[in-house]
Order: sequence, then structure tokens, then C-alpha cells
Amino acid sequence: MLFRVIDKNEVPSLVRGFAAHYEVVGPVERNGGFAFDEVGSDPSRLRVDYDTTLLPPKKYLFPPKAELFTYDTVNNEVKDIDIPVVPRVLFGLHSCDINAINRLDAVFMASDFPDPYYRAQREATMIVGIDCTPNDHCFCNLWGTDEVTQGYDLFLHDLGDRYLVSILSVTAAEILAVATSARPASPKDSIDFQEKARAFKNSFSSGPAVYELPILMDAFYNDGLWDELGDRCLSCTACSMVCPTCYCFNMVDKLDAGGRSGARLRLWDSCCSPSFALVAGGHNFRPTAASRVRNRFYHKFLGYLSKYGNTLCTGCGRCERACKAHISPRVVIQGLQHKAVQSDAAAQGEGGRS
Amino acid sequence: MTQLAKPSMFENPYRPWPARITSITELTSTEKLFELRIIDPDVREAFHHSDGQFVELSIFGVGEAPISISSSPSKQGFIELCVRRAGTVTTVLHDMQCGDVVGLRGPFGHGFPFEEMKGKDILLVAGGLGIAPLRSLINHIHDERSEFGNVTIIYGSRNPAEVMFRSQFEMWRHRKDFNLILTVDRTNDLPWDGEVGLVTKFIPGLELDPSNTYGAIVGPPGMYRFVIAEMRKKGLHYDKIYVSFERQMKCGMGRCGHCMVGHQYTCIDGPVFNYWEAVNIQGAM
Repeated sequence: MLFRVIDKNEVPSLVRGFAAHYEVVGPVERNGGFAFDEVGSDPSRLRVDYDTTLLPPKKYLFPPKAELFTYDTVNNEVKDIDIPVVPRVLFGLHSCDINAINRLDAVFMASDFPDPYYRAQREATMIVGIDCTPNDHCFCNLWGTDEVTQGYDLFLHDLGDRYLVSILSVTAAEILAVATSARPASPKDSIDFQEKARAFKNSFSSGPAVYELPILMDAFYNDGLWDELGDRCLSCTACSMVCPTCYCFNMVDKLDAGGRSGARLRLWDSCCSPSFALVAGGHNFRPTAASRVRNRFYHKFLGYLSKYGNTLCTGCGRCERACKAHISPRVVIQGLQHKAVQSDAAAQGEGGRS
Repeated sequence: MTQLAKPSMFENPYRPWPARITSITELTSTEKLFELRIIDPDVREAFHHSDGQFVELSIFGVGEAPISISSSPSKQGFIELCVRRAGTVTTVLHDMQCGDVVGLRGPFGHGFPFEEMKGKDILLVAGGLGIAPLRSLINHIHDERSEFGNVTIIYGSRNPAEVMFRSQFEMWRHRKDFNLILTVDRTNDLPWDGEVGLVTKFIPGLELDPSNTYGAIVGPPGMYRFVIAEMRKKGLHYDKIYVSFERQMKCGMGRCGHCMVGHQYTCIDGPVFNYWEAVNIQGAM
């Protein structure tokens, strides 16, 4: 890891430096909120002070709708399997979203079946991270995803009038060197960085500890809590659509007019969709909203953890904002912890009587 | 700025390979056995499956369906799929003819521990369409019969009209090296010279050496609990009883999420699990 320092007013120049070789995508203001959009052509649109976006950046690696291949239905042959790739820089991603991409990388890249579509685009993608200011919906601090140590090319740490730039890739280092007057970090920079980092850690509202979460998920698997949440869930799937780590998908065939050719498409799907676990013949393995909500959180808090060693939530807070039924990771965590305390009190009570 | 990446032939696990239907056998009014040969000789030669694995069968323009492989890995160059007419893909498949072409991806998943089972006594229990994945194991054991101890097969159907692979099993009933029990829940007044009763009825009377026996069960979801209970009463070890799950395995690669059960993906962690694994998957049994 290499560190350099640049002045804040050098950011537009850095964006232009990337834009000479890549499409540059970053946060811009839209409809009173923020969204990721192309900014290379006009770096002044870039809003590095954004809080969060409605949709996460995963769409640039795992598009909501992608053509896997086309086929000929007359000879039953796969026709075209080329994978479109856009060399791109995702500029201004927060730690939560970079950590989320790292979790997607584990699923799509480091698997027995590496995903050629994801991999091709991921390998053509650079990531420039930037410090954030936590808002009321953020809870990355619960998972330790308020920091990120890998997966980016550059990370801009805010030191007031300048950025301490953490550098992980040669290509990005070269562009940085050409586009800015990057200088080595001084002792003063490291002292300022330490103070900033400490202030950042203290800026989160304290949340519940989550060490025992996998145990609670298992212990309260059959608890009425899931029925309460299921009664509220509208099965609208907004949670999965705005989630930076949800990667469930569906594959469907679409015929061209005339029916002689067609394409197989991969579409975002959600495990909260009522027909998600339906099998041919009509049996639905998760017929109730309660069973689907439970499955979603079970995977996030335990299933993914058991396979990849991390929780499949980075505390970005998007689902908390999107859910009309007030179901969120924090609600589930607090609900489970409340259940644990209740059950323990009941057990103590029984112990006292006997 | 769009560029094109061109993965090599074998690098794209989403790509179905054209396969020709070379034989169709009507098994019952709703099930047919399809013999398929992958057309590309290199891909056909590279295709090796283990007992209990499945493929994704494509019909271009309709979609894909996960189907377990019914033929033994000892037979190369073709695979057999025992398919019930149940969803859109299988309905279209049932209307296809010999010579028609479909797509195949796979094989996917973990199957039965064939090598580990060698030298042991074997108790196989199939219910209904569960015979489809189990037939791969049954025929594989048959082809390497001398490697195994006593082999007992209990195959239950609802009625005589639903018994599949009947001619094969009729022949085996007279063999000394297989203890084959064919049973139906009801005869429905059809000719039947096999047993009548649920598969669980025949386990208590078996003479088994529990420390040296592997069990395998495939059938409808409701069957597992009762058959496992009988096997456990016989003293079979938790981790020597194998089950296979049926879920909507869409991608086969542990990604799309449709086949998730508890913390596991049926498609890559299963579909075959031992009972110890299965009881530790929330919501599985």
C-alpha cells in the first residue's frame, strides 16, 4: 500500500485524468437525492459530499438485466456469446459499497464456476473510494464495514483541505501522478489522518453488538418474530433491489418476433418474491412472507457468513429507507436480541419457582 | 468504449451445449426416459458425472429446468434423464421426438459417495420419482457389483401404473445378488405381484450390520422423516444415511439463490447430503 496527498481542488483534474481512458461514474444530485451517473464529461456534476444513493453501484458489475447469449431456435444452437465490457471507473464509492463489491467478488469471481460476465466487467473496472459522513440510516460500524482495506484502486481520505490517497493499483497510481501534483504523506498528514479517523468512528450512533447474531438466527429460527415481520412484509422486493450485496437472479428466455431466434436473459430477482422458491409441479418451499423474510436475513447473517466468512450486509441503510413496512437489519437484530432477553428472563423466572 | 470479451468454449458455465435426443422410453403416463448425446465430440468426451448429480436442460425459447441424471457414470457418451411432465420446459420436452436437439449444462452438484460406499452393505430406498436420481447409483453399483456387500433396494410407488423401469426391475427380482423389494401403496385393482405397503414397512425386517451399512433415500419430501427414523432404529449412523433434495436449482452454481435451503445451496452443497448435514440445515427436514 502506498500513500500520497493531493489538494481537494485537484479532484476534477483526477476525474479528467481517468476520463481520458475510462468511462467515469460518480455520485450526482438527482431529484433531491443522489444517484450514480457518468461524470467524466463534466466533473463539476460530481458530488463527493453525497450521503448515499438510491441504488447501489452493483448495477455496473451485475446489471439488472443482461443478455447471457443469443440462440437460434431452428437449429437449437447458441449463436453469440460475446460479453460487452465497458472500461470504467467508479469514482467516489463509500466503504460500505466497496465492501459490498468485495462480497460480490467472492460469489462471482472466487467460485468453482467463475462468472465470465461479472469477471470481465469487474476486471475492467477501477474503484476510487472516498470518506463519508454517517447519517441516521447508516450502521456499517456494526459490521466493521466502515473501513475498507482492499478492493479499491484509490481511496481518498478527507483531511480537511486535502486528501490522503491510499493507492492499491499501479494503473491508478500512474493516472494520479499525471493528473495531480500528488506528494508523499508527511508526519503531519498521518497525525491529521489519525484524528479524522477517530472522529469518524465516534460519529456513529452506537448500535447493538452483533457478535451473537448467528447464534440468535439459529436459536430463534422458529420464533413468532418472523411471523410478525412476515405480516408486515409487502413482498415488494424493494429491499433486494436497493441492496448492494443481494445477488439473487432469475434467467428467462426471450424470443424475437418470429420465434426463430432469441436470447437468454439474466434479471435481478429477490428471495422475497412470492414465487421465488416455487418448483415445477406447484410446490412452494417458501410460501409465506414470514418464511421469505426469514430466509433473506438467515442468508445475510448466517448463510453467507458460513460460506465466505462475512455478513452479507454492509450497513449502507438503503433497505431501511426503502422498506415501507419498517423491516430492516437493525429491526431484525434488535428483535432477536429482545427475544433473547425475554426468553432468558422467562427461564430465570421458572428457575426461581422450582 | 464498449469492448467485447470472448471467453473460450469451456469458460462459460451458462452456455448450454446442444444435445440430441437419441431415445425416448415411455415409463408411465407422466414420465419418460430420454437418452441424450451431446453433439460436440470434445464436450461429450469431457462430460463426466457422479451418481446423484444433475444437469440444466435447456429448450431455447422456453427456458431451463434442473433434471437429475438417471444413467450410471459407468456408461459414457450419453446420459439418461427420467423426466416428469410438470413445468413448462418438461412439457415441451415431452412433446419432442428422437433426433430433436435440446441444450445441456453441467453436471452440477455433489452426488453420493460412491467410492466411500465400496466394500459396504447398501440399503437404497426410493419413493416415486425419487427413483430417477437413485437409478444412477443403482446401475453404477450393478456395474461394479463385486465391490459391494449386500445390496437391498426398496422402491415404492403409489400404484402399479406408476412403477418406473419395470422391465429392468422385473428381471432383477430373480437375481440372488440384489435384494429388491418393489412395493405399491395401493394396487388400484391392477395386476401386481409385488409387495403392498409403504416403503417403511420393509425396513424393520431387514438383517443389517449397522456399522457396515450405507443408506440412501430419495423420494417426496414427506417420506424422508419416516424412512430415516426406520434406518436410525436399525442403528445406521447419522453420516452414513444419504438424502437428495429437490429444489428450483436455476443456475447450478450456488449463486441465483432459488434453491437455497437454510444456509446451504442445494445445487452446490447438495443435492445429496448426509443426514447429519441435512438435520443441521434449518428448515430442510
